[in-house]
Amino acid sequence: MDELPYKTILCDVLVVGAGGAGCRAAIEASRLNLDVIMLSKELIGKAHTSMAEGGYNVSLGNVDPDDNPETHFKDTIVGGNYLNNQELAEILVNDASERVFDLEEMGALFDRTPEGKIAQRTFGKQSWRRTAYASDRTGSEIMITLVEGIRKESVRVFDEIFATRLLVQDGRIAGVTAIDLKYGDYLVFRAQAVVMATGGAGRIFTVTSNAQLDVGDGYAMAFEAGCDIIDMEMIQFHPTGMVAPESAKGRLVTEAVRGEGGILLNNKGERFMNNYYPEVMELAGRDQVARSIMTEVLAGRGSPDGGVYLSISHLPKRIVEFRLESMIEQFGDAGVDIRDAPMQVSPTAHHFMGGLKTDTNAQTTIPGLYAAGECTGGIHGGNRLGGNALLDTQVFGAIAGGNAARFAKEHERPGVDRKEIQKEFNRLEAMLKRKEGISPAVARKELTDLMWSKVQIFRKEEEIAYAVKELKRIEKEVVPNIKVDVPIKRFNPGWHQAIEFGHMVITARMVAEGAFMRKGSRGAHYRVDADPDDDGYYNIVIRRGSKGEMKLQKEDLVITKIPPP
Amino acid sequence: MTKKFKASIERYNPDTDDTPYFEDFEVEYEPGMTVLDALLYVQDKYDSSLAFRWECRGGQCGSCAVRVNTIARIACRTKVDPDADLVLQPMQKMPVIKDLVVDMTQTENRIRRIRPYVARDKPPERPEIIHSQDIEILREIRKCIECSACLSNCPIVHETWDYPGPMIIRQLARLELDPRDVEDRIAMAMDEAVYSCTTCKLCEDICPKNIKIPKLAVELLRAKAVEAGYPLLAGQQIFVDSMKKTGRSVPEKKTPLLKDLGTEEFLVENPIGRVAFFTGCLIDYRMQSTGRALIEVLNRNNVDVIVPKEQWCCASPAFRTGDMETAIMCTEKVTKIFEDAMDKYDLDTVIIACAGCGKTLQEDHRPLIEEMRGTPPRFKVYDMAEYLIDVVGMDRIVKPTGELDLKVTYHEPCHLGRGQSVVDQPIELLKLIPGVEYIDDPYKNRCCGAGGGLRAGKRDLSMQIAKTKKEYIEATGADMVTTECPFCTIQINDIMKGTDIPCLYMPDLLLESYKKGDEKKTGEKRAKAKAEA
Repeated sequence: MDELPYKTILCDVLVVGAGGAGCRAAIEASRLNLDVIMLSKELIGKAHTSMAEGGYNVSLGNVDPDDNPETHFKDTIVGGNYLNNQELAEILVNDASERVFDLEEMGALFDRTPEGKIAQRTFGKQSWRRTAYASDRTGSEIMITLVEGIRKESVRVFDEIFATRLLVQDGRIAGVTAIDLKYGDYLVFRAQAVVMATGGAGRIFTVTSNAQLDVGDGYAMAFEAGCDIIDMEMIQFHPTGMVAPESAKGRLVTEAVRGEGGILLNNKGERFMNNYYPEVMELAGRDQVARSIMTEVLAGRGSPDGGVYLSISHLPKRIVEFRLESMIEQFGDAGVDIRDAPMQVSPTAHHFMGGLKTDTNAQTTIPGLYAAGECTGGIHGGNRLGGNALLDTQVFGAIAGGNAARFAKEHERPGVDRKEIQKEFNRLEAMLKRKEGISPAVARKELTDLMWSKVQIFRKEEEIAYAVKELKRIEKEVVPNIKVDVPIKRFNPGWHQAIEFGHMVITARMVAEGAFMRKGSRGAHYRVDADPDDDGYYNIVIRRGSKGEMKLQKEDLVITKIPPP
Repeated sequence: MTKKFKASIERYNPDTDDTPYFEDFEVEYEPGMTVLDALLYVQDKYDSSLAFRWECRGGQCGSCAVRVNTIARIACRTKVDPDADLVLQPMQKMPVIKDLVVDMTQTENRIRRIRPYVARDKPPERPEIIHSQDIEILREIRKCIECSACLSNCPIVHETWDYPGPMIIRQLARLELDPRDVEDRIAMAMDEAVYSCTTCKLCEDICPKNIKIPKLAVELLRAKAVEAGYPLLAGQQIFVDSMKKTGRSVPEKKTPLLKDLGTEEFLVENPIGRVAFFTGCLIDYRMQSTGRALIEVLNRNNVDVIVPKEQWCCASPAFRTGDMETAIMCTEKVTKIFEDAMDKYDLDTVIIACAGCGKTLQEDHRPLIEEMRGTPPRFKVYDMAEYLIDVVGMDRIVKPTGELDLKVTYHEPCHLGRGQSVVDQPIELLKLIPGVEYIDDPYKNRCCGAGGGLRAGKRDLSMQIAKTKKEYIEATGADMVTTECPFCTIQINDIMKGTDIPCLYMPDLLLESYKKGDEKKTGEKRAKAKAEA
């Protein structure tokens, strides 16, 4: 093993990730007079949160006065197919209003009611108009606001830093190893407490709404560190992603289109949701709408490019222009004027309901390691409601940041195992030195195609089994042989992808293993060969065994108020 | 067969290369392909170490700005033209880290300097009542995704970071307009050199969110500064005072065109159209011969020209610098003068040969008048070249016949190209002139530095920008540069002093060719008569 040079950087609280949850956590922690570092894999403000479109759920009752957190809770649990951790879901709905006011205090501008309060719109599976929004660029509005917030606070932002491994010392979190994407230097960040806010992993699928960076770094790093991971089989395929042109495939078409009255049609012009969920039609759960669309497509009733039609052209143009401006822009680029013509849409890998298991303090199963946002699991159960993800980032971002700071105040900074650090950097270095091997682009395609074809919306025992077998093979044969074509460290995307690939494979295997264990259909996990005896009212928790193996076990649901039917 | 095109990408690894160099790649075209798609194609197929930034591929994150054929844009929303080469370079002003990835440190520092967040003096009530009408104006300006492309393109930032550039001045305006922010953003705008912008609109043109930064940020902040009692820069005040008093922004020297013409009517036999000619201050007071040339060119194309005797300044300098009181007064006057001319002479078209005036009448007067009285001015406004090419039309245009043996390039005035969307017509006109070899300048649409009150108020900075422009012009190897704006003509002639490249106003060049054609014809006639005799 070579002795590779690296630099160590100290702080009190380290936040890994700079999207909605990461920024919120960093802001919260910095207010407690601590030195906070926020690592961002991208430039500040460019995180996937900026791509969220529709909105933020909060039962303010500004439009429908009968709404309250209780109803929001019920909708969230029912929508989540009762798999949610109800302790966490209670916090989610109860803190929603204070966190949205925090955003406004920082400078956010949501659309208003005539009285000057936050306006609220309809979203799927919600009893009332509950979703706060800024046209259809709500995520962007929140991201811009949080960046304004970060620029005000004393958070040290290290951008384009890629964390590769969590360092655990005597059972406590101690920091992370990382590379500086810009110049390729090896770095170690040490802190008393760490917040994971690393987002999701849509990129393990061929078709996804997710940004380039959403490859599951957090899930893989946490698994390797011995953290409990929950509900990984629960992946939301957003029913409406773009299908054409090829390069736009998978890009999100916001639920707000349906919320504002958009209708889904097959190639016969039939409003087919009437055959599946006639009571709620297009505003059924995302899992339900996604399956309905795929059923139409598979039955040959799809659009020319392999989707179905989503039409908003019956609405007044003024409304479309005011509330769906991004959609006009997005489809305008594809040559479709949505004010007159229908969009073609089909499901796209969108959100991971599963992730790091956290308690009501947002702490994971590793002391000192907190987590918030999409990288956590349990809050949304089997299906996340549209509008609950931006909410999640703010509520649990604040809790994670605050508690990490309190933990940091009460504890000394742990030491680190330098051998382990060297081992990690040598692993990364080996990718550059390897003369023979597999290029990340090829490996990546094999993985994403495997996941897209075998662990998708309609799942089957033998296909999942095949995926698990293949993933084990990839882990054994491909991952150790990943080779970077050009052996330089300075901003080398080939190297970044090679490192990411390892994280993608671990994440993908957790998804496939979880899907294999769950024999019945529940939430987003739909088995065409469902075991009728498996009602599915449990969570699957994954933990790393002493030999590095993936250990799965079923755990009882955390129920506070609403038992499953 | 799949169509292929060439992508030339600037490569640079400062660890191993002394200077950047270009590497060419062949890319297979797919319909709808964006610049980002092309970059990903190259990265996957040829070189995984090719460095560029991207995240969302949907114009939402603002990571992927690069220079595409000299102008910075976000790659994911810029379509590839398969029939042309694609040249990709890193953004300017920001040092290269590798290939197309640049260091944003200075940009981030520059943003932080303006305290770029809503400052409060007390915590707000919860819930805070904010009325739609109070934030409506923020909607557009708030959409910025900080892609920084406008900073790379800004001619002022190119010269100095004293000016924070479009993206950041926009954030200042966003905060000024936010009813919750308690900072004195106007004082800050003054400190941040808000009077440095030439309003060239390149930022607006490439903005992925179509934010009208010059109008919604720069001119708005300037107007608020004037309202708050800040004086205009010394050089600017003279113009504004003068236009208020005399209707002209500059003092009289030799006899003005309007006084000298003697008549309002320049009529032809069998006219194909009739227009009123808005001269603007400089043609009336400084470039009388250009004004005459314009009338003659239109007459030669069988168009009646009416030149109202009493004209008034369009108030461009007042609009640009924020003196809205003067601007409104002039707008009303100009509208009345030309609506009266419409009625008196039965016409509906106004021709302008000054890019700045044309832009002002189109972009400033129209909405202002509409706001004041419910309907915009009744007349249509055309630039001269636009009128000749689009209205008179190629089949009716009387082509000049006199040969001018010249290599000619063109400077596109900002307020013509981006201000009025007149881009190709002047070049088409140039190409009509026999003997003229037109040389395209890839930087033809870059600002000359005169506008926005800069030449008047900050001459040094203005000339610095002009100097950069001079380098572009010289690189073309042309004998002459032409343009369609008196202000650009003066500025470019100023900076080209000492070179043998003159800057000529389009109508003058056209007339020269017409006249030379006449001589040729007369000569031919004489020769013919002689031969017959």
